[in-house]
Amino acid sequence: MQKWSLYSRGDKFFAVVVSILIGMFTVATLYPFIYIAAVSFSSGFAAQAGKVVLTPIDATVEAYGYILRDPQFWISYRNTFIYTIGGTIMSLAFIIPGAYALSRPQLKGRRFFNLFIAFTMWFNAGLIPFFLNMRDLNLLDSMFGIILAFAVNAFNIILLRNFFEAIPQSFEEAARMDGANDFQVLWKVFIPLSKPAIATITLFCIVSRWNGFFWAMVLLQSEDKIPLQVFLRHTIANLSDDDEFAIVQTAAGFSAETVTAAIIVCSIIPVLIVYPFIQKYFEKGILLGGVKE
Amino acid sequence: MSDRNSDFGGLPVDELVAKADAALGQRKTRVRDSHWVRTWDHFRREWQIYVMLLPTIIWFIVFLYKPMYGLQIAFKDYSIFRGVANSPWVGFEHFQTLFSNDQFIRAVRNTVTISFYNLLFGFPAPIILALMFNEIINATYKRTAQTIVYLPHFISSVIIAGIVITAFSPTAGIINTIISWLGFDPVYFLTQPEWFRPIFVGTGIWQEAGFGSIVFLAAIAGVNPSLYESAVVDGANRWQMMWKITIPSILPTILIMLIIRIGNIMEVSFELVILLYQPSTYETADVVNTWVYRQGLQSGQYDLAAAAGLFNAVVAFVLVMTANTLSRRFSRTSLW
Amino acid sequence: MSGVELDGIVKAYGALQVVHGIDLNVAEKEFVVLVGPSGCGKSTTLRMVAGLEEITEGDLTIDGRRMNRVAPKDRDVAMVFQNYALYPHLNVADNMAFGLRIRKMPKAEIATTIADVAEILGLTPYLDRRPADLSGGQRQRVAMGRAIVRHPKVFLFDEPLSNLDAKLRTQMRAEIKRLHNRLGVTSIYVTHDQVEAMTLADRIVVMNDGRIEQVGTPMELFNHPANTFVAGFLGSPPMNQIKGVLTETGAKIGNTEIKLQGAINGHAGRDVIVGIRPEHVTLGQTAETSSLPIELDLVEPLGSEALLHARYGNDNMVFKADTNGDIAHLSGVEEVHVPAHLVKLFDAETGRALALGA
Repeated sequence: MQKWSLYSRGDKFFAVVVSILIGMFTVATLYPFIYIAAVSFSSGFAAQAGKVVLTPIDATVEAYGYILRDPQFWISYRNTFIYTIGGTIMSLAFIIPGAYALSRPQLKGRRFFNLFIAFTMWFNAGLIPFFLNMRDLNLLDSMFGIILAFAVNAFNIILLRNFFEAIPQSFEEAARMDGANDFQVLWKVFIPLSKPAIATITLFCIVSRWNGFFWAMVLLQSEDKIPLQVFLRHTIANLSDDDEFAIVQTAAGFSAETVTAAIIVCSIIPVLIVYPFIQKYFEKGILLGGVKE
Repeated sequence: MSDRNSDFGGLPVDELVAKADAALGQRKTRVRDSHWVRTWDHFRREWQIYVMLLPTIIWFIVFLYKPMYGLQIAFKDYSIFRGVANSPWVGFEHFQTLFSNDQFIRAVRNTVTISFYNLLFGFPAPIILALMFNEIINATYKRTAQTIVYLPHFISSVIIAGIVITAFSPTAGIINTIISWLGFDPVYFLTQPEWFRPIFVGTGIWQEAGFGSIVFLAAIAGVNPSLYESAVVDGANRWQMMWKITIPSILPTILIMLIIRIGNIMEVSFELVILLYQPSTYETADVVNTWVYRQGLQSGQYDLAAAAGLFNAVVAFVLVMTANTLSRRFSRTSLW
Repeated sequence: MSGVELDGIVKAYGALQVVHGIDLNVAEKEFVVLVGPSGCGKSTTLRMVAGLEEITEGDLTIDGRRMNRVAPKDRDVAMVFQNYALYPHLNVADNMAFGLRIRKMPKAEIATTIADVAEILGLTPYLDRRPADLSGGQRQRVAMGRAIVRHPKVFLFDEPLSNLDAKLRTQMRAEIKRLHNRLGVTSIYVTHDQVEAMTLADRIVVMNDGRIEQVGTPMELFNHPANTFVAGFLGSPPMNQIKGVLTETGAKIGNTEIKLQGAINGHAGRDVIVGIRPEHVTLGQTAETSSLPIELDLVEPLGSEALLHARYGNDNMVFKADTNGDIAHLSGVEEVHVPAHLVKLFDAETGRALALGA
């Protein structure tokens, strides 16, 4: 990168224009979040009238009060934690040993197994067969089903497998000569050596679980099992039509819009808290997995 | 067992050669451990890695391959009571139904159209972003901007859709607020078919363009700095360098990402579609997978929906294979 | 008897055979070096002894037990790898303790063993450090330490000095030799560097193309190479080898007849290769030397010696001569003198060494 002082006039102009454009895009990215936060803190009337632009109008926390008093909100929040933590642990339990096994040259049928797994990235049976399969397995409306049925995907296995393959063979050989069996080699040598890759995969799993919506919506019936995203979805879709709510809201200071906005803010907060810490991991992760599968 | 080579000193000429040859002839014929012994040895020593692999393989069979067995209902008249095995075959009847069904045809058309717009606008966006980030000199500014634009990727589609719905709401939304400031009538955006695609593609860009630029930024970072330095000495400006050095250098990456994109044409992010569409916008919004969702999971027409899903999967498969072969021929890199 | 016996060891990958039958007896406490060019099968052979490669055919016996089907960890051998394979997330002490912990040795015993070995290797001040914080030589010692603490029956070394710079290599070579003198453990050492082979080995095994070319002590191999390959492999600069013919009185190369020590015994007319080591020629003539006229091409001063690059007919030859502090007198050299008793003869067709009758 050249020094600014050595830039020609034309280049300086170019750089300034680009900076402004990036600035505009950044603001445009950020604005919707600021907007929704403002709505969440505004009064119901102001929001419904479309008065909220950047700051809360007639500021109130009534919408939050409504949400935080709803037991279903807390149940869903808890469920999301269960699915995220349980799901991620289960994923790692399958993926780490599986990827290790696939990375070992002495595995017989290695090419077959790799193809077996990669194939699922290019062809899957579709929504209906998957659903019917879950029904056959008696995993409808089951929290365990949600955790188990989405535990593994080929992309993560291949990513970790490639990483393991890049570790020099001599580490395994030295450990073997020292007397370690395969489990010990994996646990004591390869996993410590693969911290970045495992961190990346853990991150992918956590994000995917936390945001998971569609199959949770399709497979779960009981209200006490749905995760936060499904709860949010129900709220957005149904609140405006809910007569009971219509009565309550006119009396209190919130509206469908502010309540929705409040749930959204509550769902985003954990992500925002964790976000700064994970930045270095996902940048590395893209490089690890990215294009070379 | 003598070390046969060590006795060469001091012998007359020909005897040397004769002695060595004689030693060779003395070797006994060896026996190889049989094939079965070796295989048994292998499993006796290596059983652990098979144990490590087994749960994963079983998982794939139970959750991803077993549904493929159930996929045959696309060719059967399926009833829950009779089950898959006992339902009668109807051949390609469902496919005939599909292709004479206006709504399905419309769904296929929408899928392709939306993907096309996504490709037209959504594919260049991360690339342009990456190129722009590359021109920013102040490292802190660059870092901060990057952190912010990566964020929407980590937010769930439900939240993204929720924000969009609120923002475009006829009475409460900011968009309509601005429109009324400008003197126009408010528009109920999300019920109008002609607005669906722009909103959908725009939302997609907001959510994914930032994060998507990482791959291209990595590719740009891999370009040899000496190329830029020699261009500077030759008198090129940044704009020229971008076109003549940066873009050509990351062309292989762009090509590969394009191929991945094309391979996913049938995979319009249907979660987002479901969250943003309404019956009144089905005309432009309904895609194959949402049609399948309504027909199958909501109306219970499993066999027809399965057939549609199969059609989708097969088309996608063919696209990916073709794209992969093309990529191999052009850039000597592939997705395998 | 912790000897290692290789009896007809063959290694094949499917139809491709890379090691063609190795017979070798390594005696207890012996330091044997397998040396040869890349791809000659020395590392493969070593790995077969370690148990990292399957033995296709033949028998491997360690200390009287047949080891073909025994897992590496049960063979009681320890290996030092070319790239050391030190676990980067463990410090020096933990690296050395790794194998001992797996074998469930009591903690106190592990601690004393490591302390002792660290003492021998001079690693005591570094026990807490990670490999990344160590120099190349120190890492090498940790790798050896990890092998030593196991008190195995056999040490296996796979080109352990290849990753070190020349000066460090010389230093570590001497340390390995000293260690062996002190510990007295049977060792098999693989290298492509003939200097390492010469300086470290009790016996050298020269390998080429999956076969043993010759086995013997360093001086045996140097003074009595069994064939042109061994002759050209050991010694630097390599032995000059010129095609010639045996005559009634000696060996004729080009127009010059080289006197030989010993009787020709009626083999005149036989095609031979004449071997002359660069350091064996003299600039002064004596009764036992033959004069070889040469065209001097280049003089390379090495300090107390110089290399003379010359042409004889169509052949390029190299000779070594003392400089006695001044190379000016060397540039006029027009002939060198070859002592009869130092000339080597090889069969022109097979390359095998020939010896003359008494």
